[in-house]
Amino acid sequence: MTTMPKSYTAKDITVLEGLEPVRRRPGMYIGGVGPAGLHHLVWEIFDNAIDEAMNGYASAITLTIHKDGSSITIIDDGRGIPVDTHKKSRRSALEVIFTTLHAGGKFEHQTYRTSGGLHGVGASVVNALTKELVATSIRDGERWQQSFKQGRPTGALQRLGPARGSGTTVFFRPDATIFPKTVFEADLIAERLKIASYLHKGVTIHFADEKTGRKQVFKHEKGLLDYLLRILRDKNATPVHESPFAVARTHDESGAKIDVVLQWTEATEEYLRSYVNGIPTFSGGTHESGIRAGIGKAIRNFIDTHGLTPKGVTLTSDDIREGIIGLISVFIPDPQFQGQTKERLNNPELSAIVDGVIRPALEHWLNHNISIAEGIVARIILAARARAASRAAQQAVSRKSATSNRLNLPGKLSDCTAPGTKGSELFIVEGDSAGGSAKQGRDRTHQAILPLRGKVLNVENAPLTKVLENKELSDLITALGCGLGKTFDLAHLRYDRVIILADADADGNHIATLLLTFLYRYLPQLVSAGKVFLAQPPLYKIDTGKQVYWALDDLRLAAIMADIKQQGVRAKPEVTRFKGLGEMMPKVLWETTLNPATRRLLRVAIADNVRTDRAINELMGRDASARFRFIMDRAEEAQGLDF
Amino acid sequence: MAKRRTDRNTPLFDETEARPGPESRSLPQIPTVELIEAAQSRYLNYALSVITARALPDVRDGLKPVQRRILYTMWEQRITADAKPRKSAKVVGDVMGSYHPHGDTALYDTLVRLAQPFALRYPLIDGHGNFGSLDGDSAAAMRYTECRLAKTSSELLGEIHQDTVPFRPNYDGTKNEPVVLPARLPNLLINGATGIAVGMATNIPPHHAGEVCAALLKLLDNPELGSARLCAHLKGPDFPTGGQILNTSDELKQIYTSGSGTIRLRATWEPGPSTRSGKTIYITSVPYTVNKAQLVERVAQVILGRKLPPLLDIKDVSTDDVRIALELKRDADEQMVMAYLFKHTPLQTNFPVNLTCLIPTEQPEVGRPERLDLHQLLWHFLRFRLDVVTKRLEHELDALKRRIHILEGFESVFDALDNILRIVRRSEGKADAARKIMKQFSLDTDQTDAILELKIYRLARLEILVIREELATKQGRAQDITQLLSTEAKRWKLVRDEIREVKKVYGDPKKNPRRTLIESNEQEAEYSDDDFIVAEDAVILVTTDGWIKRQKEVRDISTTRLREGDTLLTALAGSTRATSVFFSNFGVAYTARITDIPATTGHGEPIQRLFKLKDKERIVAALSLDSRATPGLQAEKPDGIPSVHAIAVTTDGYSLRFSLEPFIEPSTRSGRRFGRPSAGAEVVDVALTTGTETIIAATAQARALLCSASDINFLSGAGKGVTLIKLPAETDRVLGFIASTGDRDLLTVETNRGASQTISTAKYGVTGRGGKGRALLKRGRFTQIMQPPVTIPSLGN
Repeated sequence: MTTMPKSYTAKDITVLEGLEPVRRRPGMYIGGVGPAGLHHLVWEIFDNAIDEAMNGYASAITLTIHKDGSSITIIDDGRGIPVDTHKKSRRSALEVIFTTLHAGGKFEHQTYRTSGGLHGVGASVVNALTKELVATSIRDGERWQQSFKQGRPTGALQRLGPARGSGTTVFFRPDATIFPKTVFEADLIAERLKIASYLHKGVTIHFADEKTGRKQVFKHEKGLLDYLLRILRDKNATPVHESPFAVARTHDESGAKIDVVLQWTEATEEYLRSYVNGIPTFSGGTHESGIRAGIGKAIRNFIDTHGLTPKGVTLTSDDIREGIIGLISVFIPDPQFQGQTKERLNNPELSAIVDGVIRPALEHWLNHNISIAEGIVARIILAARARAASRAAQQAVSRKSATSNRLNLPGKLSDCTAPGTKGSELFIVEGDSAGGSAKQGRDRTHQAILPLRGKVLNVENAPLTKVLENKELSDLITALGCGLGKTFDLAHLRYDRVIILADADADGNHIATLLLTFLYRYLPQLVSAGKVFLAQPPLYKIDTGKQVYWALDDLRLAAIMADIKQQGVRAKPEVTRFKGLGEMMPKVLWETTLNPATRRLLRVAIADNVRTDRAINELMGRDASARFRFIMDRAEEAQGLDF
Repeated sequence: MAKRRTDRNTPLFDETEARPGPESRSLPQIPTVELIEAAQSRYLNYALSVITARALPDVRDGLKPVQRRILYTMWEQRITADAKPRKSAKVVGDVMGSYHPHGDTALYDTLVRLAQPFALRYPLIDGHGNFGSLDGDSAAAMRYTECRLAKTSSELLGEIHQDTVPFRPNYDGTKNEPVVLPARLPNLLINGATGIAVGMATNIPPHHAGEVCAALLKLLDNPELGSARLCAHLKGPDFPTGGQILNTSDELKQIYTSGSGTIRLRATWEPGPSTRSGKTIYITSVPYTVNKAQLVERVAQVILGRKLPPLLDIKDVSTDDVRIALELKRDADEQMVMAYLFKHTPLQTNFPVNLTCLIPTEQPEVGRPERLDLHQLLWHFLRFRLDVVTKRLEHELDALKRRIHILEGFESVFDALDNILRIVRRSEGKADAARKIMKQFSLDTDQTDAILELKIYRLARLEILVIREELATKQGRAQDITQLLSTEAKRWKLVRDEIREVKKVYGDPKKNPRRTLIESNEQEAEYSDDDFIVAEDAVILVTTDGWIKRQKEVRDISTTRLREGDTLLTALAGSTRATSVFFSNFGVAYTARITDIPATTGHGEPIQRLFKLKDKERIVAALSLDSRATPGLQAEKPDGIPSVHAIAVTTDGYSLRFSLEPFIEPSTRSGRRFGRPSAGAEVVDVALTTGTETIIAATAQARALLCSASDINFLSGAGKGVTLIKLPAETDRVLGFIASTGDRDLLTVETNRGASQTISTAKYGVTGRGGKGRALLKRGRFTQIMQPPVTIPSLGN
């Protein structure tokens, strides 16, 4: 049994005063005490300095990691923290800022228009979590300083004497009792400073690591544009257009400052980085959705007004943004983040604001740079076509093993039990009627049947997408399993032989030609590997009453008839001409056409590629007059006309 | 079922061709075929089969195999014009089972077409039930509809059992079917044909039977008559749906001589009642093969798209005739409305003629495709008629001869009938009786059989008279036929008589008049695209970003919709029939018809939609070229300076004046050049000038130059111009200028401190062009020209 606590009364309720809650629950404020939390202290103080710069009061920031590696000094040349006495608390403003949660100058809009540290916890939280912190402010010709230990002042604010200029210096050393590891990572900090210098064009940021003696200065006059070019270089991506799109605008009503650069590249991913008030928002948020919407609408609008809509393919927003590298930095007065780690912006109005700025600006840029715009649109259409093609190719992609993924096989395919083995065969049969007989008459171990309905698409004049969209042909590709084009792999062919089985009539001949054209144009490797065959169903059935003969053509028929006469059979043999395979009993089909021991096949081969290419084009291509000439030239030798 | 089969181990086929190979095992070696050979031979087989036995009609009876099979089956089943109609499904089933082993839907579709009075000029089948309509409705399913042969069909089939045409076995050899029907009617021409084969196609329009017969008769009179001369009688196609053919008679002659060409066919219309609010016109026929419902939809789209403002509404009030009501504005010009519709909707279509068909060869069962001219088409039919007539006579003569032979037998034994009776009574049976009769009288088997089959009543006394009479007529007829058969000319006369007969029945212009009008020389007003523009005054708004739109009127220019960050550049006024010109910073002018500028109260459209602007090219100025808005654009004498022309200034301080006359007509998408700014320089603005104004130009480095417009050279072609202001530094550039008409007409500029400064002729003196200008600020710069607020222009009336 459990032992009940003795009592649970009001004295058990603890109210944490001052900065105590921060020390007790650091995770609530900085997201944890790991390396990320540790560096969060740096970001908080650094962001304060950046805020000064952003609002135009500071132009240079210096960050130094001291020799021990676990203390940092950050100096800016801003206005300096106010040191006058705060009325309500009767302490100096500096002390209030560093010792009181939710104190700061960023709640009211007059002093800071936009800022990253808006939760008002920044300085005090850092103070609470440090072993020691020294804040120095130079203001109105005087230098002031106050020291803190674990968040508590070690003394009053001191006036150190006259000084030139203005600015704030904060030195701090994290508390090792809170952070298991207090050593800062120089690379991480330097990277962050670098990004900050991109987002705040013109601000000079000095970085020094006393341990290694490393010193760096970050300054980017062009801001995001420089950043974009760096990403482009790092990713080694080929740009679609020369100069990137850039827009920087302040939204009148909300006061939001929006800075965007975009570049389409030949890469296949979309690379979008967003910053709110100088803080990276890795999980995106409303500003990212705004830019996505804006890009999509602007591009679509441009395509619509200029009538560039492609035929046969619909553009998705993913197509439009494929290969885009985009940076968006917004500065807004009231950012609402999800969580203190500020990884996702949550201001609902921002989506529309960003969209409203991007869309007209991008559209204007496209309209005034028609050649660039057309390049981008071409790239987008290409992306859409590639997507359509890859989807189809994916459907047609070969299976690793013949038994897996059976569900992907076309429903009409009657597969055999041993596909992929030597001697396995796929019969491509004309029409469902013949397919039925073939299914019943086959050898189920080695022979698979794929019935095709009606005339197959003529691929000679059809674009790839049309071919892949065609149900009959894509079924065939799937059933073959070897893929096509770039993904073709003969090893994945699911059958040893691919046999075209068409009726012996005119339409059967046409279908065989259409299939040969498809195989020749799209799977020539299959033909040259000797995998493609033509079945030879009998044309005549000769029934003498005692015995049944089959004849492939008129020549053979005459020979059999002569034979019968010689044997002295009295009754006149009954000759039937088959109209279609559906006419035959499954058993008969087996005996005459399917049984490997008795049937007759023709192996299809290509001897002269150039000649074949020309001939196929003549037969199946667009030029009707070439076809006419061929027919007229060869009409004499035609035989077995079907009426 | 007992199955007979061959021994499983013996190959069914001759294996001598197979070569032994490594893979032989117990299986036979597989021979190889070249893909090209396999494809070609199969394709050829398919192509020839489609050409000779599917898609093309026979020149003699004008039918494709499937049509012939349907008609023949129905004839055999006696579903003739005077019989009770039979279910279509039954007919389709019979045709499919007996002669045509293909799909049932294709068969039924063919049957339906043969019955549609709007598809065939002289329908061959009489359909009962829903057989589809001009609106593209499909026929009811074949289990509902009934059909029988139309009377026309009896002209195709009437002589079929008189050995007139060759027959061939059907697909399974159980029946015989005719290779061609012994058509008395020139069906190919009167009903037309259409078909797509392989490598060739056919499209023969229908004609009026009377005219075709007339042409046949004329050709009979003079077999040398050429196609062109025959056209005097066969005036042109006669479509079952009526309409009007626009081709001239020369064009039609050309078509019938060459066997191909294009017939321009349009709907007919008539004016209807007009009311106070508007008027109506009725469309009374639509072109052949045009789907009426779709046509109405297309016209409705024209109305909805506001492409044709005088046209208000369209209503299809057709029943069994065609009657589509068009509601027009009261003041609308019907001719113009129809001209637009003819041009932009299927109310006028082209019928491509291609007189290809199968002509007979030595082999009776195989036809050869060929494109014929009218003469050949008619002549083939005449030859065929002669052939049919000859064979029919031979068949009749044959029958006559057989009858005469028997009658002669009767006659010779009539007197000895008692004797014969006795022989019969004493005989062992029929065979014995026949043998004995033949022995006694000199009769052959046929005659003897006929005698033995005689009915007893014929032994009456009077019967010999009847027999003698019959014998006499039969002999007379046989003599006639023998004579006919011996002289071709007489048979030709017979052919002629029969055509005359057919012409009387089917070609009577009173009973069955021509439906399609052939009228090309109608005085038709030519309408240019401009005529369809509704003349109205409009205001064009142009923004700095290059978005343009047209509005009927602008009440408050400050509330017009602009995109975020965009400003209004200028507003122009003009008639929709006039043009406006847009000047770009690259020195190119683009002229558009005002009506082509999108009419909208929205944002409008980017100028790049109308014109092909280059990268970074933008519009810096725009002018209306409506003569009311900008009068005096035309020079009074050639090569003179028009009183009103334009002046342009570039960023590097050059300037030119040029005439707007070359820019009045709409330009191509690439525009026309008006200036050639040097590399790196751009045109900053273009303004109207009369040459009397003072040009005030300001630069970024706060310098200004004022000079008379007349100082600036007038160029007759696009050029760089002359120096207006010499820029002291490469960093400086001209911001803009105005052509000031007086002291109050100022140029306002903004300084880098946010202040504004005005420059006017009142403040500063006017100098010549080409100077450095006057420095207006000691320190500081001009940032931009402050544009006066855009006002709504008026056309001054």
